Amino acid sequence: MSDGATQFTILKAARLIDGSGGPVAEQAAILLEGETIKRVGTKETVQAPEGASVLEVDYGAATILPGLVDCHVHVNGIGDGRAGDELVTLPDEVLTVQSAQNVRRHLFSGVTTVRDCGGKNRTTFHLRDAVEMGIVPSPRLILAGRPVAIIGGHLSYFGIQATGATECRAAVRQLIKEGADFIKVTATGGSTRTSHPLVPSFNVDEFSAICDETHKFGKHVAAHCTSSGGMENALEAGVDTIIHGLHRDADGSDSYRPDIADRIAEAGVFVNPTLGQSVARIRQLEDDPSRALDTEDLDAMRRGSETRMDHVARMRDAGVVMVAGSDSAWSNYEMGDFQTEIESHGMAGMSNMEAIVSATRDSAASCWADDSVGTLEAGKQGDVLVVDGDPSRELGDLRRVVDVYLAGSRVDRRDLI
Amino acid sequence: MVASSNSEYTLVTADRVFDATGGLPIEQGAVLMCGSEIVAVGRANEVRAPEGASVERRDYPGATVLPGMVDCHTHNNGFGDGRAGEELAELADEVLTVQAAGNARRSLFSGVTTIRENGPKNVTMFRVRDAINEGLTVGPRMVLCGRPVSIIGGHMGYFGGEVTGVEGVRALTRQLIKEGADYIKITATGGSTPTSFPLLPSFNVDELRAATDEAHKFGKLTATHSTSTQGVINSLDAEVDMIIHCVFKEPDDRDNFRFDIAERIGEQGAHVNPTLHVGRARVWSLIEKQHDSGLSEEESVALDEAKRALDVRLEQNRRMIEMGLKVITGSDSSWGDYQLGNTVYEAELLVHAGYSHLQGVMSVTKWAAEALGVDDAVGTLEPGKQADVLVVRGDPTEDVNALWDVEDVYFRGEKVDRGSEESLAAVRQTPYEF
Repeated sequence: MSDGATQFTILKAARLIDGSGGPVAEQAAILLEGETIKRVGTKETVQAPEGASVLEVDYGAATILPGLVDCHVHVNGIGDGRAGDELVTLPDEVLTVQSAQNVRRHLFSGVTTVRDCGGKNRTTFHLRDAVEMGIVPSPRLILAGRPVAIIGGHLSYFGIQATGATECRAAVRQLIKEGADFIKVTATGGSTRTSHPLVPSFNVDEFSAICDETHKFGKHVAAHCTSSGGMENALEAGVDTIIHGLHRDADGSDSYRPDIADRIAEAGVFVNPTLGQSVARIRQLEDDPSRALDTEDLDAMRRGSETRMDHVARMRDAGVVMVAGSDSAWSNYEMGDFQTEIESHGMAGMSNMEAIVSATRDSAASCWADDSVGTLEAGKQGDVLVVDGDPSRELGDLRRVVDVYLAGSRVDRRDLI
Repeated sequence: MVASSNSEYTLVTADRVFDATGGLPIEQGAVLMCGSEIVAVGRANEVRAPEGASVERRDYPGATVLPGMVDCHTHNNGFGDGRAGEELAELADEVLTVQAAGNARRSLFSGVTTIRENGPKNVTMFRVRDAINEGLTVGPRMVLCGRPVSIIGGHMGYFGGEVTGVEGVRALTRQLIKEGADYIKITATGGSTPTSFPLLPSFNVDELRAATDEAHKFGKLTATHSTSTQGVINSLDAEVDMIIHCVFKEPDDRDNFRFDIAERIGEQGAHVNPTLHVGRARVWSLIEKQHDSGLSEEESVALDEAKRALDVRLEQNRRMIEMGLKVITGSDSSWGDYQLGNTVYEAELLVHAGYSHLQGVMSVTKWAAEALGVDDAVGTLEPGKQADVLVVRGDPTEDVNALWDVEDVYFRGEKVDRGSEESLAAVRQTPYEF
């Protein structure tokens, strides 16, 4: 990391977006001291202390932003369309190698913090061991370990199936003992073959036990919800983030529920709608229709995506904070492309700046990591993204990555070892 | 790796092509590849793709094209940061697999296109191979043992292969082959493992023989770790195919080159993998520490002893080379202080021990491939062989150190993306004069 000799780094650029949603700063500069941000201001005002050794980089017409925060990844995933049921048949060692490749890709693409929403057994914890040993370049990791699921429930194949409040409590304690930073629970079924996506999984007493126990240890809960019943249970149990957040009735019909949206907004619960999954897939199929599976209907997919975007827009109007989390490398969505998720927020009606905030300040807040990352402010971690162009005008410029800084150190984005 | 080139053929030309079949480099040479195979090798003005075929041509002026290197001795789990094997083995298998995958990339990017792995923990290397086969990571061809066969408390017993008796050895051999082992590694003496005795043989000859018989039955080769003379003798009695380290040392720690035993090695046609640089890496590491923070009295003694031991090993290998034994480059990295991606140091030290520079290159290409029984596919540039091709600046047959100066690596006919210059440069360990 930082080699001691260069204690201060000053980065300058035509623009700086601090992630808080305020106006774009012109002719801006940021001073990093070691691993942290010391000062953010203009090129004229930001200076290192007299006599200090300073590395100064002027990025010219580029834009400086906070490193991106992806609040929903599955580092075990391969993103080649294989089902989780198949993924899980790979040995833990292989999944850990894949996880190492995934986090590298994500870091190199500009993401400096990820929240992993569930991997097999202890693989994500072992990934963290490897990262801490310095053998894998990686964004900051906020880990769930494996999700808490009912018997046969979504992601239960990753290693936890709990029944009853006592087992749920035990599962939470076990995960926290192993190093979990938050608890992921599957409140409804999902793509897992033995699960029922339209039906709530845990009963409220079990769900409440999970939330109570997690909060007791100062950690948060994020719940997979692919139907309205799951969201209602999640709200009753006291979750902190609702993932997917599908307004869908038990009979499978899409039906926006303003009452639920109001409750979410009132409770201050974040929603991670994972719109990027289908946008990425639709783009993939538009580029290469030969990749479509027999069962996939592109038009149906587009209609589904529009419905979701409409629901997301209405939830935002109701005051719900939507946060960007890619859900990659689940299904067909490879890691290293968080930008598609951010762009999908733009497609769902956010301004470019709002979409950026959803992937920086707000996603950091949803991960309970906003004390240290998500915005460019003095005292926060020196996680910085530099892109060509101006993403506040053209969101796609987030793909034009020039440099990534993690904890004040420039990342070698071509280190393939 | 996914084939990215649209052209059917790749033609590589350079000032020299060293095909490693036994002659001198071809001046102004060329290698023609198609898919994953070599289709022609010769002078640039004579090598041509068939009429009408699409060809991507890459010229390397000033360079030498030669076979990808073959390192017959790696430890992919290792860090090469001085930590002991017993500490390494305490790490989780998942972490060791991630490290092994990184080490595999390091060696491939350095120009090593085939490795023989000499002992990881449990099934970690089979898992690396699975990950490569799944297309999740890249690495060289791998000749794997699974884990070493060891006596109770023997060297590397902590990797999971402790057995006793003829049946025990035979059962483990079968188990390893079932899991996917390509050869069988046995520790015939103790080693650095604290519960083992490096000056004493470990297995009895009947047990060693059980391993070689069973392995040979399935067409697999064997290799024994032997750090003292009786281990070498036992290995020869059991008809082992490769003797690793091959240290001539009496049970009282006395160095004593045994010409008679060396002759037996030659008569039986066994290969010798001396692993000289791992000792020099220890010397360098201690010198570095001396410069940085100074050495304790114990470490000063260790430094003197490491230098002396290296001299003895160089001298013993000089004699084996003079006798014409099949002495092969196998780095033993990442073990001790020696890190993967630095195989050239071992080849260079064999040149120091008596090989010509050209022989040094042979010891890390054709001869190494023969020692591993993979010479039907790799080790030389010949039509029909795998297109594992290394391009280096300069002429390694004149100066083996040219092997450091890698311009490109082709693996199975595809140019390898080796990443940034900085990350590649960081792989090379710093030498120290002494």
